[in-house]
Amino acid sequence: MLQAEGVQLLCLTASSGVPLFTRGSSKQLPFSVIGSLNGVHMFGGGQGVQLSCCETDRGDRVVWRVFRESVMLIAVSSSGDHTVTELQLCRLLENTWNCMVLVLGQEELSNVRNVERLKRDLRSCYRLIDRLLDRGEDESVMGDLTHCADCLLPQNTSLLQEALDAFTQASESEFGCLLIRGRVAVATEKWWRLVSQEVVLLSLLMRCLSGTTSCDYPVFLPVGSPTVAHRLLRFQLIQGVDVCTLCGPAPSLHHSETELVGRFWSPLMDILHGCLEQTQHSPAPSIALHPDILALLLINRESSRSLSLPGCHTTVTPQDAPPVPSTLRRWELLRLFYTFAVTRYFTTGEMVTSQADPLQEDFSQGFCHVPLHCYLVTEECKCYGLQTPQHQLFLLAALSMPTFALRSVATQTLTSITATTGF
Amino acid sequence: MEHERDESSGAPLLIPHGSVIVADWHRCPDSKEYFSKIFQKKRRKTFGLLEAPAMPPQIHVDTVRYKVFLAGKSGVGKTALAARLGGSDIPTMHYETTGIETTAVFWPVKLKDNGQVLFFKFHFWDCGENALRRFDHLLPSCKEKMDAVLFLFCFTDHGSFEDLSNQISRVSHPSHRIVKLVVGTKFDLFMHTDVTEREIRTFQETSGLPVFRVGGDVNAGLGEVAPLLNALAEHLWHQDCVTASCAPLSSQV
Ligand SMILES: Nc1nc2c(ncn2[C@@H]2O[C@H](COP(=O)(O)OP(=O)(O)OP(=O)(O)O)[C@@H](O)[C@H]2O)c(=O)[nH]1
Ligand SMILES: [Mg+2]
Repeated sequence: MLQAEGVQLLCLTASSGVPLFTRGSSKQLPFSVIGSLNGVHMFGGGQGVQLSCCETDRGDRVVWRVFRESVMLIAVSSSGDHTVTELQLCRLLENTWNCMVLVLGQEELSNVRNVERLKRDLRSCYRLIDRLLDRGEDESVMGDLTHCADCLLPQNTSLLQEALDAFTQASESEFGCLLIRGRVAVATEKWWRLVSQEVVLLSLLMRCLSGTTSCDYPVFLPVGSPTVAHRLLRFQLIQGVDVCTLCGPAPSLHHSETELVGRFWSPLMDILHGCLEQTQHSPAPSIALHPDILALLLINRESSRSLSLPGCHTTVTPQDAPPVPSTLRRWELLRLFYTFAVTRYFTTGEMVTSQADPLQEDFSQGFCHVPLHCYLVTEECKCYGLQTPQHQLFLLAALSMPTFALRSVATQTLTSITATTGF
Repeated sequence: MEHERDESSGAPLLIPHGSVIVADWHRCPDSKEYFSKIFQKKRRKTFGLLEAPAMPPQIHVDTVRYKVFLAGKSGVGKTALAARLGGSDIPTMHYETTGIETTAVFWPVKLKDNGQVLFFKFHFWDCGENALRRFDHLLPSCKEKMDAVLFLFCFTDHGSFEDLSNQISRVSHPSHRIVKLVVGTKFDLFMHTDVTEREIRTFQETSGLPVFRVGGDVNAGLGEVAPLLNALAEHLWHQDCVTASCAPLSSQV
């Protein structure tokens, strides 16, 4: 999607500006422009200034970031209509770097001895990086932006949890996770102690691999284990349901596949089919939403988990009613509203320090309180955001919903979801 | 023993097509109810580890499982071949495989001898060549309990053809019987071929390994994959029979 919006990603060596790769938008930037982008950043560095972002008067954006003093990533959006926000580009750079570490490990990326070799090795990261640029069928997945794990709440979680814990233990691991439709259904306690970016990244990797039956992938964890690779073992139990464990040298893929998978998961076959069926239309089937809600994103701030729910509002509307955005557009709008809200109002913790929009800085610093609610009415929909110490809710409603009702609908929705699911 | 064996490697020589299983069985009307079980909505169905083709209760079909390792230079088309054999879309881009990926493929086969029908369940093990070099534990894992290897080269890269002998020596296993077949990929690009028919004939004679050709559109149906899957089934079944019949013998020696 970013690709379609003309985002280009450049990677250069930080010390000498040698291009390592470019991905994204089909119309490549000329070499001279790449050189200048690097040059201007270097010039700033020489003056003791760190250049992190700029915006042209046509609405194009450039974001720079140097990782471990060895690799510079630059994201350029040239859609020219402000649709790609700075937060999105910053996230893209972070996620890209994390993908590079996941595949190659920090060592190779930090101590570049042979540029040609690094260039060649970086090709192995393209699959994940391209997936960040073009999210394909993951339109309702938000983790790349929120850095919270996209979750799903099936029924029977206790049985699934039990099976997962036992399976993980039998795999000589403490890190195990069950994904349904690419979202975390249950995970072991230790899995949840991974940094949330890692949980998001591993889910992304698993979605990339979803066409195959099983995998044994060496992975470095960008925060938890950047220099020692672990083995990510992944098994497709039934189509749409995957289980994975992070293992050491044992057990072998062959052993797990032939001895462990059947033993622990065959008894749950019907339950797994049931979960898949239940969650076909919504990741949390037990929740009934107000009919005017188009989509919502609920974040549990403590556990860094998120739930993105489609509304039940159909695109077919009565003749005089204003048109309702398509399903795909709703997810896009929700991403935009999330970005809008967290960069302007819900600016908490690290979000402020790393992403503060320079133009907005004074504005948010001017607040002597933390905003708890915000809303926005656009030509396509109405948006409402609210936060509590534990949760953040971002909600899109049809234009037909009266603005004054947004607040109570949002508050009630939050209460009812957390009460019924304990999320 | 009816079939000659190459004593040095223990590998059976080329088994004539259709000598062990019914040739082109997918074209016969009596195969229909079996093949229909590996399709879903006119496309090949993918099976998770807990899934299998659902036969009606009154028909019992045994499943025999085999692990097949795909070996070959980076970019020859291992991942594409696994997708092709499994009936899914072939990736248009070359994204390096950065670990091991396996694909399970069910394939109904009718034995010539007694007319028994079996489901062959092939587990194709695809490991990116560059990952194999980076991480030492991957190759042993691929070789663990493998039953067959497909050595891949592609018609558009002569280097990949030259690399075959490397590949073959890397996985040979003197104590173990393994079916070995060679597959030339990207045969659809034969206009740009870099490997001549003559070279292939010479290779086939000296190595004693049969060479198959694949390439082109997957939507061509089963006809595209049947020759290779049948040959694989035939060689594996034959190998099992040989192993079973000479096991007591070899233990005496
Ligand atoms: N035209 C044509 N292209 C093919 C065929 N098989 C593979 N390709 C293309 O060749 C490229 C490389 O194929 P892959 O299957 O990804 O290569 P690989 O052997 O898995 O490579 P590594 O994972 O790096 O070891 C891809 O762009 C495929 O689309 C074929 O039969 N015909
Ligand atoms: Mg591959």
